[in-house]
Amino acid sequence: MEQFLSAVFAGTASGSIYALVALGLVLVWRGAGVVNFAQMGQAMFSTYVASTMIMNGYSYWVAFFAALAVGTVLGVAVDLLVMRPLSGRRSSAMLASPAMRGTVPVIASLGILGILQAAAGMIWVAEERGFPAPVSTLGLSIGGTVMPFTAFDLFVIGIVLVTLIITTIFFQKTGMGLAMRASALNAEVARLSGIRTSSVRTLSWALSGAASSLAGLLVTPSANLSPNTLDLILIIGFTACVIGGLDSLPGGVLGGFILGLVISFVNVYSSPSDIFLAILAILLIVLLVRPQGILGSKEVRRV
Amino acid sequence: MLKVENLVTEYGAVRALDGVSFTAAEGKITTVIGANGAGKSTLLRTISGLERAKSGQISWADKSLIGKAPESIVRSGIAHVPEGHAVISQLTVAENIEMGSLFRLRNFRSDVKLAIEEVYELFPRLAERSKQLAGTLSGGERQMLAISRALVSRPKLLLLDEPSLGLAPLVVEQIIQTVNDLCRKSGLTVLLVEQNANSALAVADYGVLLSLGKVVANLPAAELKADASLRAAYLGY
Repeated sequence: MEQFLSAVFAGTASGSIYALVALGLVLVWRGAGVVNFAQMGQAMFSTYVASTMIMNGYSYWVAFFAALAVGTVLGVAVDLLVMRPLSGRRSSAMLASPAMRGTVPVIASLGILGILQAAAGMIWVAEERGFPAPVSTLGLSIGGTVMPFTAFDLFVIGIVLVTLIITTIFFQKTGMGLAMRASALNAEVARLSGIRTSSVRTLSWALSGAASSLAGLLVTPSANLSPNTLDLILIIGFTACVIGGLDSLPGGVLGGFILGLVISFVNVYSSPSDIFLAILAILLIVLLVRPQGILGSKEVRRV
Repeated sequence: MLKVENLVTEYGAVRALDGVSFTAAEGKITTVIGANGAGKSTLLRTISGLERAKSGQISWADKSLIGKAPESIVRSGIAHVPEGHAVISQLTVAENIEMGSLFRLRNFRSDVKLAIEEVYELFPRLAERSKQLAGTLSGGERQMLAISRALVSRPKLLLLDEPSLGLAPLVVEQIIQTVNDLCRKSGLTVLLVEQNANSALAVADYGVLLSLGKVVANLPAAELKADASLRAAYLGY
């Protein structure tokens, strides 16, 4: 029983981090039509900034919010400096075919990932360093009995739940959220309605940058920090999106929680070496049974 | 007044508009008629900024619209309801309407509320279905919604593309009549594109007949309607 509960808690905590990564990916996919492979590179960079600040004596929370700010700014920078010029008219000849239009930004995001990882290696020396958690990562003990979860698990779950609630309210209840949904669903009607879709796109990159830097801050205490440590999280987060539905925000979040729990259960009841097998099995089943993802909408492909 | 001069729009090698010139008088309904592929929709799409003009001029109230993006053209009082009941089916009816007024929220918050109440009065059926997804509406209701979305932006000029497409005759009548009332009561200028020339000419003040991207006639609607040879040559009835 204790083993079961501990698997549930650990899975929910890591699942909530994957959910954040997926949220970041879906935001940019829906908002800009790009699968952003640089996302966790951006998160790695902002986590390094936080780590350096903490090493220089700043408090955890100052560094925490500074990292979120850096993540947001990086997201905006990627859009304004790379993605927007790429979709501009000067490069439209290169992007004449739909296949190129879909591929070029993705390749560009891989380039950005490379640059960020190289830059981090140059600035901070490519050696692993630890990153503190604001609360204990040891099993919480209440009245002498050790609970099957840590204070940090609760911290992660709590902070992600708050983030998800705020995001939901933002998208469902505010005008800006409506503008973002409308732009993602039908850019032409959105523009005719007066929505500045290019600003909305930049906002998607900004929010995605913030969400993924939050994921970076929450995952590194249990993973150590090096220029490449977050690559694996990106792969799991991307799988979560595909499972849940790449064009659905709740879908990505659901996919994240599913993967978190599956990984945790395989880890506890089988062996860590089976984790990737399990992930691939789930991915395969979903792709066979429901190719658009659990909550994804069926895409109408026009020939 | 909407003034279009020598407008040329191309899709790659295809010249969809080949030097179109006409004016649409303020407070009147001007209908653009013509066969399939005459360039009617392209004309509206170029005016609203969705397509880029190759050359020529478009001006509204003496201000040029050339080179402006659709989202800024809406702000100068021109609302476009594109072909095919252009609503966002995954959003609710209320959200579709709200969407059309988002850009006015900051400066005209109280008028936005009023504008929304007005379209619900105009189309009570939308008020009943305000919480439903737009995708669940009938074709006629969807067209009403698309028009409502445009109206809450408080346009001076309404560009309507084939509102009758795929709708039952009774519904077409109702929608055209509503547009007519809006024009007569509130002085809205309307540019109405129709394949259904008869019902369009019945309410319009002026008619512009397009053929293969060129204006072949620009007459008061009654005269255009009465001209049997034009009708036979370009509209086929």
